[in-house]
Amino acid sequence: MIKLLNAGFTRLRKNKLFWLLTIFSVGLAIFMACLGYSDMNKYGRTIEVEQLMFNYSTMIGVVIAIFTSLFLGVEYSDGTMRNKISIGHKRIDIYLSNLIIVTITSLFSYILFLGTVSAIGIPLFGSTTIGFPTLIKLLGCIFVAIIAYASIFTFISMLISNKTISSIVNIMLAFGMIIYSLTFLNFLSMPEYVPEYIMENGQMITKEVKNPYYLTGLKRDVIELSVDINPAGQMGQIVGGMASNLKLLPIYSLGIIVVFTGAGLVLFKKKELK
Amino acid sequence: MEIILETNNLEKKYKGFRALNNTNIHIEKGAIYGLIGKNGAGKTTLIRIICGLQEPTNGSYIIYGKSNNSNDIISARKRMGAIIETPSIYGEMTARDNLIEQYKLVGMPSFGGIDDLLKLVGLEDTGKKKAKNFSLGMKQRLGIAIALANNPDFLILDEPINGLDPQGIIEIRELILKLNKERRITILISSHYLDELSKIATHYGFLDNGSIIKEISSEDLMKKMEHKIELKVSNPKDFVKYFEENKISYEVIDNKTINVYGKYNLSKFINELSKKNLIADDIHEQEESLENYYMNLIGGGKND
Repeated sequence: MIKLLNAGFTRLRKNKLFWLLTIFSVGLAIFMACLGYSDMNKYGRTIEVEQLMFNYSTMIGVVIAIFTSLFLGVEYSDGTMRNKISIGHKRIDIYLSNLIIVTITSLFSYILFLGTVSAIGIPLFGSTTIGFPTLIKLLGCIFVAIIAYASIFTFISMLISNKTISSIVNIMLAFGMIIYSLTFLNFLSMPEYVPEYIMENGQMITKEVKNPYYLTGLKRDVIELSVDINPAGQMGQIVGGMASNLKLLPIYSLGIIVVFTGAGLVLFKKKELK
Repeated sequence: MEIILETNNLEKKYKGFRALNNTNIHIEKGAIYGLIGKNGAGKTTLIRIICGLQEPTNGSYIIYGKSNNSNDIISARKRMGAIIETPSIYGEMTARDNLIEQYKLVGMPSFGGIDDLLKLVGLEDTGKKKAKNFSLGMKQRLGIAIALANNPDFLILDEPINGLDPQGIIEIRELILKLNKERRITILISSHYLDELSKIATHYGFLDNGSIIKEISSEDLMKKMEHKIELKVSNPKDFVKYFEENKISYEVIDNKTINVYGKYNLSKFINELSKKNLIADDIHEQEESLENYYMNLIGGGKND
């Protein structure tokens, strides 16, 4: 396993995609801080630095999907996966070493963004408005959700030998998870009652009526659970300030990590490599 | 002689198709074992199974005394190097970086041997050129260098000359011979280029429809392919005595048939025999090429 990690990180350091990811993380942080500064000056908006810190989490799923597909896909397209097995590495070690490399790279990208946005943002917009313990809890949830993303996309990239197909599946899935969570978070955040404007005796009056789109009962519970489990849903809740149960979110993420990694190890062990 | 790879009734089934059918091969230490078979005969499937990329449906194999059913097979694989179908190289890296990667994968303590390996395969001057821009021959040679990184005792090369130009074929052939002679590496090489294999192989395994139909040493095969005279005789002992006395290469096939190897003038040969009162019932002169031998083995054109 150590040999695989050693070789994997050596490849990572020489990998163009990794350096693009690094530049992207820093560039995005600078762009967001500048955008916030411009909004503050132009429109007098108050910029909360923690909001900038969380913003990347909404799109990191797509970034991890692209990185994982291309970085691990090369193992199949260049035939190096075969080499690792034929020289006596255990499949379980190959799978886990790839998961660790993808996880560390994904976390590195987020931490780099976080460091850059904090270094620029705090002097410009002041310190965070939420307490340090809450900030740590929220960042902790984001980090565990990032590992959950890594486990999902590693699962797909390790089981689909065709780099193009695994890239398409991963990227579509990442967008699908984001669209799903944004759509249902929107429904879940709808008020139960909405004002209805009606004319009565020639006067416009407001009446509170039941919102037809408000989700109730089992349907609401199921959708809430699906959004909580979905790493994109977790990120959406954190960015939107809607995360009500910060203790449960990392547990859901851990569940995803265990299920996908466990299934991935079993299926990769049986996979016929060509 | 120590057998380093042995398969026992290996079978591999895909949906509705049997790629390997009770395949048995035996590779001796120090051999260059040519695995011959037409496309689709099962060569690559057999190699994939031996390298652990696929599991056999039935049967087993033993590498360096370790069965595929035991966990020790992993340690046996550490003594192997392989190129399966295409060389395992990162296209975005240089030849040196690919070797550094492989050195780390196999856990070599230093990169000291990399220059020697690059020199061995003739890639010492490739500099910063990325492997994806190499010619097919260069990629094959880099693949071999990578397969040699762990100083293997056993090298598996699957169709290493496919698609190479004549110069590339010669380079790979010379490299294989060098590895076998100088480093004493046992080599399993699969190909459907009979002529090429006949220039390097010390042993052959003929694979057809997933089964090994014949294993033979190069020496015995050459004997079979020599110009020969087949004699049908009723008194083989007298003939054998004569051949022994005159140091004539022969083989007793059965109690009525003797093959005499070598190029003789047939009428003079018959004349000499008759002087000793050795009269054959029937005499045939035959000459066989490797191609003919192979075609006869697989049943002529029936498999085409």
